[in-house]
Amino acid sequence: MDANPTLGMLLEAAIAAEDALADLGESIDAEWSYVNDLRQAWSDRLDEVASGPQGAQPAGPAVVAAIGLAIDEVGRIADPHRAIDWLSTFPQVVLLAAGAAIGPTSDGRAG
Amino acid sequence: MRFQDAARDGRAVVYAAIQGDPLVARAAELLSQASQAERILARAVMNGESTEADRWRRMFPTLFGPAPVAGEASAAGEPGCSALERSEAILTASLAVAERGEQVRSQVRGAIVEELTARLLARRSPAAAIRRERRILFDGVPAEIHPYDVTVEVSGSFEAFDCKWGARGINADVLYQLDDARTHAFDEEEPLRVAIVVFDAERSCRIRLEAQTAPYAQTRLVALEQLDSLARPGPAGQ
Repeated sequence: MDANPTLGMLLEAAIAAEDALADLGESIDAEWSYVNDLRQAWSDRLDEVASGPQGAQPAGPAVVAAIGLAIDEVGRIADPHRAIDWLSTFPQVVLLAAGAAIGPTSDGRAG
Repeated sequence: MRFQDAARDGRAVVYAAIQGDPLVARAAELLSQASQAERILARAVMNGESTEADRWRRMFPTLFGPAPVAGEASAAGEPGCSALERSEAILTASLAVAERGEQVRSQVRGAIVEELTARLLARRSPAAAIRRERRILFDGVPAEIHPYDVTVEVSGSFEAFDCKWGARGINADVLYQLDDARTHAFDEEEPLRVAIVVFDAERSCRIRLEAQTAPYAQTRLVALEQLDSLARPGPAGQ
């Protein structure tokens, strides 16, 4: 990771962590579709912020630390059921740290 | 249509002990006054692997940083402790949940969502009308096995709520039970509003709902972002 990353760089790392969570969670066969729908929806939202005006801005030290710790936290997860819970929780933590809105929702309303 | 206490079977006795845990009441009270960011903190910590408080403080700089912004005001707009004090109290309670064993923490989290729902509803309905673990009986219809988590029993304005910790808890059984109750109530000309309360982001809940084949068009969703709507008159959620 760059010593002075932009917010977009941090969010790209978060998308990779979300992918890793989904890879773990999809080992629960009955939840394969749900896991991948979650992966897609939250990765799209993270990418939306990363590609927007905020994404090009340098991230402050507190934001770098927060998102780094969140990525580390999900890296500790070994249980696929807990990984599924975190597929939803992790992006919310990252978006909050980034100062971005959690929404809009999948049907376009503000979240 | 009539309401009835659920049978005191083995499950009910065990679960009553969980519901009666003082930690459940403490966490629910704190979360009833929390901002959205503080509720996300609680969800993360109660789901988390780490139980080191300082890691979580650093993960939520908007709540614990030098200039907290996201948790500036109580969601209920009520006076009380400062935003930082409230965030610290939520972190402490959430860590206490996380430090329980995996099975117990799962039960405690569910009980917290139910208690939180009941406390928010009590801000707009008489306390005596808010009941827990109730069955709804209809003439000529076999009673459902599982009781409703929370009901509001006000004549002419009945409500039934099922409460879930995460979006993954939304399933066909829950949706059928809620919609069946609403339909049977309608048949008896008793208005019954039904809703599912989920301590998870609306985005995740919608994804889960859209994959269900059970009917849910008349079942309101109260996701984490809309919890405070439970405290206001009128239908809660979306």
